[in-house]
Amino acid sequence: MDGRIDVRNLSKSFGTFRAVDDLSFSVEPGRITGFLGPNGAGKTTTLRMVLGLIKPTSGTATIGGTPYTQLTHPISTVGAALEATNFHPGRTGRDHLRVIASAAGLPDSRADELLTLVGIPAAARKRAGGYSMGMRQRLGLAAALMGDPKVLILDEPANGLDPEGIRWLRGFLRHLASEGKTILISSHLLAEVEQTVDDVIIIANGRAVRQGTIDELRGEKRVRVLSPQSDRLARALSDAGLQVRPAEGGGLSVIADETAQIGEIAYRAGVPVHELHSERADLEQLFFQLTENTNRNLGDPAQGFAAPQEGGR
Amino acid sequence: MGTAIKAEVRKLLTTRLWWGMAIAVLAAGALLALLMASILNETPNPEQQAQGQPAMTPLQIATSTYTSGSAFGYVLLMVIGIMTIGSEYRHKTITGSLLAVPHRSRLIAAKVIALLAFGVLYGLIFLIGSVGAGATVLSIRGLEVFPEPGTLLRSLVLVLLVLGLWALIGLGLGVLITNQIAAILVGVGVAFIVEPLLGVLVSQVSWGESLAKYFPSRATNAVLQGYAQDGSTNQLSWWAGALVLIGYAAIMVAIGTFLTERRDVT
Repeated sequence: MDGRIDVRNLSKSFGTFRAVDDLSFSVEPGRITGFLGPNGAGKTTTLRMVLGLIKPTSGTATIGGTPYTQLTHPISTVGAALEATNFHPGRTGRDHLRVIASAAGLPDSRADELLTLVGIPAAARKRAGGYSMGMRQRLGLAAALMGDPKVLILDEPANGLDPEGIRWLRGFLRHLASEGKTILISSHLLAEVEQTVDDVIIIANGRAVRQGTIDELRGEKRVRVLSPQSDRLARALSDAGLQVRPAEGGGLSVIADETAQIGEIAYRAGVPVHELHSERADLEQLFFQLTENTNRNLGDPAQGFAAPQEGGR
Repeated sequence: MGTAIKAEVRKLLTTRLWWGMAIAVLAAGALLALLMASILNETPNPEQQAQGQPAMTPLQIATSTYTSGSAFGYVLLMVIGIMTIGSEYRHKTITGSLLAVPHRSRLIAAKVIALLAFGVLYGLIFLIGSVGAGATVLSIRGLEVFPEPGTLLRSLVLVLLVLGLWALIGLGLGVLITNQIAAILVGVGVAFIVEPLLGVLVSQVSWGESLAKYFPSRATNAVLQGYAQDGSTNQLSWWAGALVLIGYAAIMVAIGTFLTERRDVT
């Protein structure tokens, strides 16, 4: 089993409401894929269809070629954490994990191993009702990792985590991806996962509006340079074989990986430089453009998607 | 399948519900046994006879003493049955349960077997209470503690089955009414008030008696006591009563399985 998640023409209607509309994507092993969209875009419904909890109106979702409900060892194949509230408040964290261990035929010792792994060993004997949001997220992650699965599906895993927790989660997911696991995480905040994910799938209104690597989304790396002698500098940069265009708000925008390269060209041309920095594509802005005006939960009819822009400005 | 059953047993044993219920079941058995053992007589005095208390055989006294509390016991087991699925909906643990056991009918089957096992466990707890308390009082009063051991033992063993079957009725009800509190209120209300009242009302019409004997509470009585409390002959035999009760449990489990298979878990 290669651990690829394959979603083909997946649709789900609740009555007349089309929650997910002809969605297709695949999630590759060894990479972290962000599943992004505003609240109500259909992310959770899609993940629940992948996990066999919701029956699709049409289309298929498979994991390593098999629908979730037909996996022989589901817990050891796919780990999922869907909501931070999925615990009986009167059951301790350790007992919660032991229930899963017994259902999956795993030894009880896995429970304590996992609590240590996610950094909440002290919570073992505490009833889950008394957990903080951060502890719930970690217990959910521990449950997902019980069977050492090849595939991880996490719904809004960063919700409720403090900055330290988010940094911990980021490093933890990196480590898991380096072991070759397939990781799919959903979020309604691109900024939250921007530094974590390799690939992105952006959905709005139940449809995919953008798919690709995060680098593709960002577009080319650019360097912005401000000089009192813009024309001379532009010529020097063009002569060096670089693509230059005037930047919004003054100065020049150059396609280049390093600021040092630009600084050296300016120095050789004898042009003074007042400002020099690498430009980051404003992904949050892009995300907003892709998904704006589409929030059907606000009662605003979708008025055509903003045309997908090339990354960067 | 074995792993799924083990998980269900664990779910029941890892919250405070099970021992709280154990205390309640023990108390129901003991208190009703104390009451019955104290008031029942083989030959009622004229005053009691005037009130309609029938003459009873030693077997009837012993059976009544040891099993009367089961009317409370089976309602408690029905509540446990409701809660095994109701609390999964309420706390959304049904998601995790189905991720571990994606075959939904298998999950329900695991719950059915776990509940039947808990019927036996609670039945034993019930009997410790009712036989312990009842036998003490009977022997103090100089009445026979264990007359006709074969028949009496059959009634006591059937308590274990009856409690499990009522837990299954609760399981089906818990799937049918997904709001746990509503399901418990409806279940307890029907079992304690509506169903017995309906039984009495139906019995008023000529054909009613033959219908009322199939009601769950009367079928339960038939299974446990093997004779009619009011002396009427219109009661099922113990095995027919058991079949009727198994029928109710099977129908409720079938409804529960059907609905669980169809529902989206959101």
